[in-house]
Amino acid sequence: MRLLTFCFRNLFRRKLRTSLCVLGVALATAFVIAVSATTTRYITVIRSMNVLFSGQVMVVTKGAIVIQAIPITRGMLPETLAADLKEDFPEVEDAVPALLVTPSIYFGNALLPVPENFTLGIPVDKWQKVLGLIVLKGGGRLPANDTCNEVVVGGSLASQYKLAVGTTLQIRGHNLTVVGVLDTKSAVLDRFLVMSLRLAQEIYGYQGKANIILVKPVKGCELQNLAAAIENHKDYKDYLKALTEEERNDIVQPIFAQIESWNIGIQSVVFLMSLILVMTVNLMSVSERRRDFATLDALGAPISYIFRVVIFEAALIGVLGGIFGIMLGSMAAVVLASFYTNIPLHLFLPGLFDIVTPTYMIQIFATVVAVCCLGGVLPAINAARMRIAEVLRAEY
Amino acid sequence: MKIKTVNLTRIFQVGNSKVTAVDNVNLEIGEARFIAITGPSGSGKSTLLNLIGLNDKPTYGKIFIDGEDTSGWANTKRRKVRLLRMGFVFQTFNLLPTLTALENVELPMALAGKSQKEQRENALKLLETVGLSNRIHHRPKELSMGEMQRVAIARALANNPEIIIADEPTGELDSKTAKEIISLLLDVNRERKTTIVVATHDEKIVGAADEIYTLRDGKLNFKA
Repeated sequence: MRLLTFCFRNLFRRKLRTSLCVLGVALATAFVIAVSATTTRYITVIRSMNVLFSGQVMVVTKGAIVIQAIPITRGMLPETLAADLKEDFPEVEDAVPALLVTPSIYFGNALLPVPENFTLGIPVDKWQKVLGLIVLKGGGRLPANDTCNEVVVGGSLASQYKLAVGTTLQIRGHNLTVVGVLDTKSAVLDRFLVMSLRLAQEIYGYQGKANIILVKPVKGCELQNLAAAIENHKDYKDYLKALTEEERNDIVQPIFAQIESWNIGIQSVVFLMSLILVMTVNLMSVSERRRDFATLDALGAPISYIFRVVIFEAALIGVLGGIFGIMLGSMAAVVLASFYTNIPLHLFLPGLFDIVTPTYMIQIFATVVAVCCLGGVLPAINAARMRIAEVLRAEY
Repeated sequence: MKIKTVNLTRIFQVGNSKVTAVDNVNLEIGEARFIAITGPSGSGKSTLLNLIGLNDKPTYGKIFIDGEDTSGWANTKRRKVRLLRMGFVFQTFNLLPTLTALENVELPMALAGKSQKEQRENALKLLETVGLSNRIHHRPKELSMGEMQRVAIARALANNPEIIIADEPTGELDSKTAKEIISLLLDVNRERKTTIVVATHDEKIVGAADEIYTLRDGKLNFKA
């Protein structure tokens, strides 16, 4: 008689109670995964924004609030500032004006936690320098020049709006031709429309303006020194802010730390509740089966065997609850990601394992099983204490 | 297995008062004997059997098994002796409800670490011995009371014990079934040379026993 089969039968002797307990554990697991995966996903996405302008100083207006690489206020700079910076600082190898706008930031009356899409305008000849190696899906190319109405779109946007090379889209009355689809694993770049600076300025009405100047230092010059030099220059210190990669991170780091603390807090409370649930159900089960445990004791079963029976039963609840919970939670995380970004659900499904990674699933599963086993300890101690003499005396 | 008790006493605390369930009992149980202990309800028969079966510890007095004082034995050793050298039959059968008849009989052998093949073979033989080879896959709730007690006897025999301690084994059974169970216990005693100690009210068991003791208010007297 295998212990596992024995425990399984014992558990499902009380089908409704066991099913409810498994459901409770599954819901708790699903809640933890949904909340945690959603917040972790946002943190990862926001962190990954920084890779956009890696190794460059980002110059914005003094009052601009920048989250990673995204300026979220509309402090505009003259496009010509790029040339001025190159002229004024010998440490500058190149300076590129860019216009980065998030047109779909509002959905109904609610502020979307993550913008639905981004538009980036950069002079065409500077694309490779600013964005690094651009890989396009088969048949694509970069816009021919700064004056044409050509655009490259992220893969996720292309899927959502059924865009492909050669199709046209209309933004604010401008007809644009898609000439390439970005082939990237970056969740942010996947939602980008990249076009020439001139075109972006024309569409959004910022002729001659940019909201970011990306400054690349000469070899051997530290980003920090260049940023400090720009911010302390007499002509710029009153209206410019120069941010290194580290400084861009610093703005959001405390927010991430707080989100992570909350996450840990929520997970702890939910798991504690699961532990109490499993413990209560197992205590009831042990109490109902006093005679069985006392019989095992009378037959000479080692304490370790009785202990194993109860812990195994608790672990089985954890295994079943964990599996159902992970399935439910992963679906919930995808639905939440879709809900908060206004991106259709089907676009998230292929990336399910990016939102809830297999490693995270294994971690949560192990935690749930461990919590349930812990919930079985007290009932197991009670079961191991049952003595036939006392049980029979209590019965008669 | 020879068991000897010396001034065996068990006192229970019930509320503020003390109840002496077993009072200075001196008893010797020889090998291959069939011993019946009779007495009215509450006279201390079950308590005495629990003490002899190492399921309880005396308040005073000692129990010797094969001349060895058991009072210093650790719980692990007491469990091991119960598992490998003793068998138990209870009035209410105490079969595990989620296991089939076959699995209930296999259980003590599994606990003793016997191989699955050995467990299965022995359990099938034992169930055949008690006349239940056609009910092996039935769970206790699907068996009659007589069948349940037969399974309990097969389980008690699983590890080939030297002694079987039976507490009112026919207490829940009708007279015909009780007769069958008594006959089964007698067969075990005679054919396997297993010592049987039975607490009972059943006159038929008393009539078949080698030694008869009566227990009244915790005091044991030799009757025949």
